[in-house]
Amino acid sequence: MYQWDFAPVAANWPLLAQGLLNTLKVTGVALVVGLALGLLFALMRLSRHRGLSWPAGFVIEVFRTTPPLVQLFWFFFALPLIAGIAMTPYIAACVTFSIQSAAFFAEVFRGGIQSIERGQWEAARAIGMTEAQAMKRIVLPQAVKRMIPAFMERAIELMKTTTLVATISYADLLFAANEISQKTFRPLETFTVAALMYFVVITAFSLLARRFERRLAISGEATVH
Amino acid sequence: MHQWDFASVLANREALLVGAIGTLRIFAICLVAGLSLGFIVGLGRYSRNRLFYWPATAFTEFFRNTPVLVQILWFYFALPILVPFSIGPLAAAAMGISLNSAAFSAEIFRGGIQSIDRGQWDGARAIGMTAGQAMRRIVLPQALRRMTPALTNRAIEIFKMSTLASAVAYVELLQQGKLIASLNFNPIEAYTAVAVIFFVCLWPLVQLTYVLERRLGRSE
Repeated sequence: MYQWDFAPVAANWPLLAQGLLNTLKVTGVALVVGLALGLLFALMRLSRHRGLSWPAGFVIEVFRTTPPLVQLFWFFFALPLIAGIAMTPYIAACVTFSIQSAAFFAEVFRGGIQSIERGQWEAARAIGMTEAQAMKRIVLPQAVKRMIPAFMERAIELMKTTTLVATISYADLLFAANEISQKTFRPLETFTVAALMYFVVITAFSLLARRFERRLAISGEATVH
Repeated sequence: MHQWDFASVLANREALLVGAIGTLRIFAICLVAGLSLGFIVGLGRYSRNRLFYWPATAFTEFFRNTPVLVQILWFYFALPILVPFSIGPLAAAAMGISLNSAAFSAEIFRGGIQSIDRGQWDGARAIGMTAGQAMRRIVLPQALRRMTPALTNRAIEIFKMSTLASAVAYVELLQQGKLIASLNFNPIEAYTAVAVIFFVCLWPLVQLTYVLERRLGRSE
């Protein structure tokens, strides 16, 4: 019978804590940049100018239909050679996951904006707003409220996807676990602890998201996914 | 300016073909295992019997809330310590991806079955069907139709997840891309080629889900 021993893992807790912090850092950056970029992509895709809507559509489709790990490898190994820049695992991770989540957020934004009834647009135009004003003041505020559940779901997905950065040696939680297991020869305990840490953090986020969603539902807002 | 040169990738097309076969193999295994296990777990989630409901719920919660890559590494490095047999890259990756997809598809199955109107059950029972017959002949055929877009999406996700198997050195497309890049010093072309192959395979499938979703939206 195998003798479980968590002491070697516990002794390395600063590494795990730093790893978790790095995971949250990449998730946070990708979330903020992804939201801003996603809104831009969505507005471009909804535009009547093909010069705007086609490139946005192309980027969205490519990043939604290729595996994130392939994207990460491309940005880490290929882009520095094309652009002649130095690339660190951290920057590669931030760039990849920002654009990737932007592609997914763009579709959420688009769905939300399109779910707003035409009458809202017409009324806004009728009282003299420009199209941009109608979007900013009337449509987006209503649309964003409907999109919140889909955003939160995506944010949780994003946090799980960031584990991929361990494959390009960024010191996230999974990478730290791998290090510790090689150092202490305790893979069973280390990977179990890492899995549990992810489980606790992600479950906490999804419980919060669910509670928030319920409150939105009570306030009578339909949601889009 | 970088001089693109795909000849070095084309010279290794056999390696890519081997990788493509590996990708298709793990995709097929995980699709079948993930969806069938997901169906069973989904029934457990739908059940009113606590003996089925709680284990199924614990399973879906755990596998939905941990990253797939962590699961794959756990099966590869940690599980062999507990079991008396060795676990290869394919088995570890297939287990991780299958269990994860099972957890996600379980929720699709449960939602699909729940979406069927109670009257369908009552009608089936009224003409003398057992619960099992009502499920098989009346409820499931209708539920499956509604679930098709979501299940197709799952299949696409499984296809994309198959690249994670490269983290445990299973021979699939991305792993072969890595190999080609390191032997020929052409990461730009090698990884671009891999990305293009995935895009070409998955783009039609994604379009299909859009069509299915629109058709479903119109008929309901």
